Amino acid sequence: MERELARERTLLRRKVSVAAVLTVLVMFSSLPHMLGLHSLPFLPPWFTSPWTQLILTTPVLFWCGRDFFTGAVSAFRQHSADMNTLVAAGTGIAYLTSLFTTLFPQVLIAEGLPADVYYETVAVILTLVLLGRLLEARARGQTSEAIRRLLQLQPPTARVLREGQPVEVPVSMVGVGDLVQVRPGEKLPVDGVVEEGSSWVEESMLTGEPTPVAKAAGDTVIGASMNRSGSFTFRVSRVGTDTVLAQIVELVRQAQSSRTQVQRLADQVVGWFVPVVIALAIAAFVIWFLISGNPVLAMLFLVSVLVIACPCALGLATPTSIMVASGKGAENGLIFRSAEALETAGKLRTIVLDKTGTLTRGQPEVTDFERLSGGVLPANTLLALTAALESRSEHPLAEAIVTYARSQLKDSELPAVEGFEAVAGRGVQGAIAGQQVRVGTPRWFDELDIDTAALKPLVERLEAAACSVAAVVVDGRIEACFGVADPLKASSAAAVAALRRLGLQVVILSGDARRTAEVVAAQVGIERVIAEVRPADKSSVIRKLQEQGEGPVAMVGDGINDAPALAQADVGIAMGTGTDVAIAASDITLISGNLAGVPAAIELSRHTMANIRQNLFFAFAYNVAGIPIAAGLLFPLTGWLLSPMIAGAAMAFSSVSVVSNALRLRNFRPAPLPIAAS
Amino acid sequence: MTNLFAAEPLWRTIDQPVVLKALVAGVGVVLIAWELWWFLGRHGGGVAARESEAGFQEITITVDGGYAPSRIKVKAGRPMRLAFHRIDPSGCVAQVIFPDFHKTLDLPLDATTRLELPSTEAGSYPFHCGMNMVRGVLEVE
Repeated sequence: MERELARERTLLRRKVSVAAVLTVLVMFSSLPHMLGLHSLPFLPPWFTSPWTQLILTTPVLFWCGRDFFTGAVSAFRQHSADMNTLVAAGTGIAYLTSLFTTLFPQVLIAEGLPADVYYETVAVILTLVLLGRLLEARARGQTSEAIRRLLQLQPPTARVLREGQPVEVPVSMVGVGDLVQVRPGEKLPVDGVVEEGSSWVEESMLTGEPTPVAKAAGDTVIGASMNRSGSFTFRVSRVGTDTVLAQIVELVRQAQSSRTQVQRLADQVVGWFVPVVIALAIAAFVIWFLISGNPVLAMLFLVSVLVIACPCALGLATPTSIMVASGKGAENGLIFRSAEALETAGKLRTIVLDKTGTLTRGQPEVTDFERLSGGVLPANTLLALTAALESRSEHPLAEAIVTYARSQLKDSELPAVEGFEAVAGRGVQGAIAGQQVRVGTPRWFDELDIDTAALKPLVERLEAAACSVAAVVVDGRIEACFGVADPLKASSAAAVAALRRLGLQVVILSGDARRTAEVVAAQVGIERVIAEVRPADKSSVIRKLQEQGEGPVAMVGDGINDAPALAQADVGIAMGTGTDVAIAASDITLISGNLAGVPAAIELSRHTMANIRQNLFFAFAYNVAGIPIAAGLLFPLTGWLLSPMIAGAAMAFSSVSVVSNALRLRNFRPAPLPIAAS
Repeated sequence: MTNLFAAEPLWRTIDQPVVLKALVAGVGVVLIAWELWWFLGRHGGGVAARESEAGFQEITITVDGGYAPSRIKVKAGRPMRLAFHRIDPSGCVAQVIFPDFHKTLDLPLDATTRLELPSTEAGSYPFHCGMNMVRGVLEVE
């Protein structure tokens, strides 16, 4: 495909050169006539003859401009009309009129009209339109630059270990399960998991995250990222179209193939545009003939209308901006699923942030472990009992407690648990070495009539610090408590501030206790809290916000347990983990999992829509203003007769300007995050 | 001619016989009507895709200045397989886009390129070239 486009561009360039040389000659040949003189001393009479101009113009029309005619004819057979139809009809009519004048000048002279020929008009229009096409092809090539750059990120070869020896093989030969060696400064060929060694890897080209990420055994690495300092070996987990890079490219392609709501309008106009322009051109001819009785003047208006109209500018207005913007998004780790997502993101009024995994890291940690005054067991025994019990539970808090206890106990064995039971929403219980052990929420122990008075001040302090509290009760006696917190991501507060600066209402949505959610909200600067919502009810919260007229609403979540809410939202934004790009329910995926991507995506969307509006305005205004002028509407008032040559030039450059304006989006940079007021 | 301001005798008025004026006006109106009918009117009821063994509905579309056929009738709820045969060298038709399916297909010259589309609900699904000038429509019934 690339090669075919390059070949086409070479041929086009050759045609433009030939047409330009011949056109200059034709213009010299018609110079005396243009200046209103009979002859010029430095031009021999044979050179200024209409026959010379005919000979010079014919190759421009039939070789350089051949595609316009063949295109127009085959489109005509399919009952469709396009750019080619307009250019071919306009230049064809001017050429035939001139040919008639060349062959039978006396017919015009008898009518008292000058026997003028318009070969230079034909040549100039064709040359300019061809030049416009060349410039446009070059500019349009740049709109898909982002995808090309992404594809170039993958190195062509990989160093695979075969029987323990490194062998350089083409990437297409690498299979899942192979071991690949990477040296400092090399790009990773495919996705995998580190087996041995450690390093810092730069993933910015895929995630938009500027800081390199530490990688050690067990960590996931992605193809096309750049290894900075160390050497390591990784086991290949994904190749070919399954890799993160391939998925990103596919998603960007899909977005570029979709269309926005505003484009539907332009599409409808483009559909009947050319036939209507042809009708207007014929009407201009008839009206001017009726007014002036002068067929030559009427013909000039006809040609001007045909060549000034530019349906291409209308057709290109939205897709080119979408192409550039979705590529630009990918460069910043923002993957838009469709043009519609790109369109809606800029109109958002409310943004709902899930707490766990979005504002916070999603990995709870024990921040406090306190023995209570009434307790009798030593700390290590309590940790061992708790860890033994909690290691049977699958709750995320349990995992944090077990990790903490193990780190304190070093390698000691955990005691055996009998009669383990998980009480939903309360905690866990079981018998260990003849003692009954329970770990759970303070509320549970209140219900069981256990004296929790000693616990109260601690609970208050921990909840004020956004910690969840788990108390330990042995044989009905309260012994200790854990404070577990999910730390905030470093960028959360700044990202929230950026969203507010963009004028959005920010809401926090959480399944946690109201108090915990409120503390987190205060830390990041959010005022509106919707807490104690079960995962299944999150989508109805979004629906309620939409019904209250606070939409369009975006939901930002991790994309796994938030899927229904993401789908319900006008724009679902999934926080990627760097390895899973195609999160099904989302409209936008932030590959880096960094919340800063949300304001960046909204900004990009606003810039893009502004760009599209400029393009559409320009394309419509150009045609709406240009066609009446070309039809001679101003002629009775001002005596202005728009030369068909100028009409042709205007047409050629209108679509070039639309594409160039879209290319300005390449300069988009997300605004730096504000310093958060936390 | 290149003068922005038209000079005598280019825009001089000529007295034309009324019959000629009437004739030009009449021909002009007929030409406009015919041209609008030719380009915007409905021509033929579209071509129905044929059934293939694998449950696909198949059709071959020739790309030459336009899509032949440009109106394709298919049945709802069945996957489709479209084959585009491009013989038009113009770069404009080197791509075909199905916006409702989020699909873009590159069409190499003088070759047949196949595209599979999933089954879909009844409705009208337009497709067009990269510049949105050449168009066709999938009519799902």
